[in-house]
Amino acid sequence: MSEHHKETFLTKYIFSLDHKMIAKQFLITGMFMGVVGMLMSILFRLQLSNPGESFAVLEFFLGEKWAPGGVLDPNIYLALVTMHGTILIFWVLTAGLTGTFANFLIPLQIGARDMASAFMNMLSYWFFFAATIVLLCSLFVESGPAAAGWTIYPPLSALPQAIPGSGLGQDLWLIAITLFVVSSLLGGLNYIVTILNMRTKGMTMSRLPLTIWALLIVAILGVLSFPVLLSCALLLIFDRSFGTSFYLSDIIINGEALHNTGGSPILFEHLFWFLGHPEVYIILLPALGIVSEVISVNSRKPIFGYKAMVGALILIAFLSFVVWGHHMFITGMDPFLGSVFTFTTLLIAIPSAVKVFNYLATLWRANIRFTPAMLFAIGFVSTFITGGLTGIILGDSALDINVHDTYFVVGHFHIVMGLSAIYGMLAGVYHWFPKMYGRMMNKKLGYFHFWVTFISAYGVFFPMHFLGLAGLPRRYYTNSAFPMFDGLSDINEIITFFAIVGGLVQLLFIFNFFYSIFKGTKATENPWGSNTLEWTTPVERIHGNWPGEIPTVERWAYDYSKPGAEEDFVPQNVPLKEGETEH
Amino acid sequence: MMSILVGLIILLSVIVLVQILRVNELVSEVKDQDPNEITDKDNNIQGILTFSIFGVLFLGFVIWQFKYWGVHILPPASSLHGATIDTLMNFTLGVILFVFFLTQPILAWFSLKYRGRKNAVAYYYPHNNKLEIIWTVVPTLVLTPLIIYGLNVWNDITSADTSNSKVIELYAKQFNWTARYAGDDNTLGKANYKLVEGLNVLGVDMEDDTAQDDIVTREVHLVVDKPVLLKMRSQDVIHSAFLPHFRVQMNCVPGMTTQFGFTPTQTTAEMKEQEGEDFDFVLLCNKICGAAHYNMKMKFIVETQEEYDAWIASQETLKNSLTLN
Amino acid sequence: MQLNLKKNKASKQLLWIGIVSIVMFFGGLTSAYIVRKAEGGWLEFEMPVWFTISTIAIIVSSALLLFAAQNVKSGKSATTLLLGTLFLGILFSYSQIQGWGDLVAQGVYLTGEGSNASGSFIYAITLMHLLHLIGGLVALLITTVKSKQGNYSKDNYLGIQLASIYWHFLGILWLYLFLFFNYS
Repeated sequence: MSEHHKETFLTKYIFSLDHKMIAKQFLITGMFMGVVGMLMSILFRLQLSNPGESFAVLEFFLGEKWAPGGVLDPNIYLALVTMHGTILIFWVLTAGLTGTFANFLIPLQIGARDMASAFMNMLSYWFFFAATIVLLCSLFVESGPAAAGWTIYPPLSALPQAIPGSGLGQDLWLIAITLFVVSSLLGGLNYIVTILNMRTKGMTMSRLPLTIWALLIVAILGVLSFPVLLSCALLLIFDRSFGTSFYLSDIIINGEALHNTGGSPILFEHLFWFLGHPEVYIILLPALGIVSEVISVNSRKPIFGYKAMVGALILIAFLSFVVWGHHMFITGMDPFLGSVFTFTTLLIAIPSAVKVFNYLATLWRANIRFTPAMLFAIGFVSTFITGGLTGIILGDSALDINVHDTYFVVGHFHIVMGLSAIYGMLAGVYHWFPKMYGRMMNKKLGYFHFWVTFISAYGVFFPMHFLGLAGLPRRYYTNSAFPMFDGLSDINEIITFFAIVGGLVQLLFIFNFFYSIFKGTKATENPWGSNTLEWTTPVERIHGNWPGEIPTVERWAYDYSKPGAEEDFVPQNVPLKEGETEH
Repeated sequence: MMSILVGLIILLSVIVLVQILRVNELVSEVKDQDPNEITDKDNNIQGILTFSIFGVLFLGFVIWQFKYWGVHILPPASSLHGATIDTLMNFTLGVILFVFFLTQPILAWFSLKYRGRKNAVAYYYPHNNKLEIIWTVVPTLVLTPLIIYGLNVWNDITSADTSNSKVIELYAKQFNWTARYAGDDNTLGKANYKLVEGLNVLGVDMEDDTAQDDIVTREVHLVVDKPVLLKMRSQDVIHSAFLPHFRVQMNCVPGMTTQFGFTPTQTTAEMKEQEGEDFDFVLLCNKICGAAHYNMKMKFIVETQEEYDAWIASQETLKNSLTLN
Repeated sequence: MQLNLKKNKASKQLLWIGIVSIVMFFGGLTSAYIVRKAEGGWLEFEMPVWFTISTIAIIVSSALLLFAAQNVKSGKSATTLLLGTLFLGILFSYSQIQGWGDLVAQGVYLTGEGSNASGSFIYAITLMHLLHLIGGLVALLITTVKSKQGNYSKDNYLGIQLASIYWHFLGILWLYLFLFFNYS
């Protein structure tokens, strides 16, 4: 199996078939897009805290046309908000997170030489790359990038007369997202088949690490929900390009009455959120998987309630398909349907609570080793609690009436989905960096990065709940048009301050990342004393992962501090001793 | 020039950072230590930091915000159903804050208490069915009243009897609102977007008898304690009629009519006394609709029956305004 | 051999899961159709006869493909039968285009003044099916050429199996769409 063909620069780094290299390609593209998305958020935060003021940095990045005299144009403000959402949700937290860790961890943790289809895997990255290029191109379109919000509700997204971004920018957005969906599907198919077929001997489903469980469920969610997004986008493309009336009806725009009748924008919302809600869990579940692994390893304790953790993952995934209506409580939907969606939505709190309590139980009487990864994992638990709890308010249809589409929502989902997923991703990067590059990331910079990130992230997003409770709608270019919001400017200034600090410190992380790739101290084979199979591979990373036979799995992944064992960890490939029982 | 300077500064700081890291690593090498190994000292420092930042600073910040920013929260609802939403909100908030202030300190405390030491061994504790059942059942028991209570409020709001409500249409377009009173017959005349022309900004069908007494206005006056039914239409893209003080929100969707019924309970004058002279009820747009989305508003005025009668009498019916001009 | 079997199983599974996602795609489109239809203002019209011809063509093609697979399994050549399948597949595509022509002649338009969502849906959905079918035709073409070159044998016919699964799926999908348009 160990074929040693000559590798050129091109086959090793660019058109690589090796899952580990493809994972790094996803990671670095994701990080690049993360910087772009973050920069956008800082640009529009400047406008929100200092409405109408001139900033050289705005003019530097956006030019004289989009920021005349250094003041952000309202259309471009909406474009920045839209692109920030699109990039963070799809490019960073879907492809950057799942693409990286599914590719990297699945073969390594289940004991496989590579993915089921290495070629499809490579194709998946290159579709993603093409999507990235198209999306970045849309930033340089004369009329600006898509500006109808990342949810691209028609008619706004369908009519260039309604907002300039709905012209060429929206076309490119739709092409990019189509390429993105193809990439996700190619990847997702591969992950599922690999996990189901390529597990090494002894790796039964009940011995799978939780990371793999999470990634499997995420792949299934993706395969079921992304095609629906595609069908939803397809009809929008028809409406935009061929003049059909799927979503358009009775419209006068710029004084011109359109011929379209009978279409329904609500239909779009149903189709969109049928993907859109599972997408939230496509983002969150890999983070849950990574955090479970990191917490267990660094607590030197088995994850508490493995079966309950798997069950909760499955239940959350299932429920995510029957709650999409909670995004539409105030669209005039049938009140009975609203009740059903409230009921199913609030049910999600139960498996989520189980997960939180299980994490706390894992930390109880642990021997916690505070690596930067562990800090991010603990940070994840904190944000998951905070954001999950406010979800109870938003999921309740009666309460949603008054907080819907306000900053309360912005605070909620940035904490529960944005921060949690980012923390999970950063925990994963710090944790598996030694396996990815054979070197360690700098510890002190890691600590500094975590604390500044943690403090500034809560500093940005917690105050937003108060803006929302004051009734401030999201996606407002400024709140100065309403006297009732005059008192809120101090909150906005604090948020912007923390956003800038939090953004800058991510650059330090990126510095640490690249510095450590080349200059970090050399890692050992298993620096964290971890049980899973990837740590049995040599530091020198090779195509095929193991130089000899693939190890056989003899036990579950969580035998940490097991009584009777010599060390505080027992790798999965160590056979059970005489008289020893599995967990 | 400016960008060259900025570029130089960035380059310089990267070089400085690299040098600091190199020195740090060299020092460790001399001391024969691995600079990236997690020592007991690290665990101590980080454990204490976790407790003080997660458990003290963060929770303190949350309380501080309630104390100093709580004043920004909307005043109690000025509508009948809004009061029930407020009660539900306070109840839910109470539950949430209780759980929040229970779990976050536990997380912080465990991080401090169980910070690692070289020779310590963690307690092998893979599962406990009893405990897991408890923390499945307890959240379920807490959620059940929340769900039932919430659904009750929702049902009361959405199934409210609107047969005696005064009908007012809200018409949204980029970027303003128009209102239409149904007039003496309390029935809105038919409308069609193809009829929008000149002064007939709402496309009202003037052949329709019920349209004659309709009144188009640029602000909405309501009578205190009298129920109204708002019917929403949109001319171009999706808008959302948001009246935060009344706890009312409903999307306005082109091609369909949506509605929301409520009863105001406080007059503007009363609210001015309570909240200050510059207070006004206001209608906002709360669905992204284009460049001036942030500036799409209309004034709502709640007043006594007499004041309202005087105001409405001064308005022109469509029959007069459209046919006479 | 062991490894080969594993690989065959994995390839088929890949295809099946891919099919699941295609099902979700058409599920999304047809449920949109149902929701939209329930809202009223729906133009009813006759399905063109050409669509019935399409249905017959694709059913017969599936049958031929079944026989082709049988032939390979018993060691005989499948080239002629594969060619027949390919021909019927092209006939299907032709009849789809003719069907659209009939619709236009009936006054059912995709777009513009006087178009109705019911018509737009038919065009959009059948077009999407046809795009998937063109993928199937390419797969059939490749298997036919390979069969001609004698690349398949009793022990090695994965290519034909995969093409068959996909082709039969497209047939069933069309049958579903055809019944859906006629009776929903």
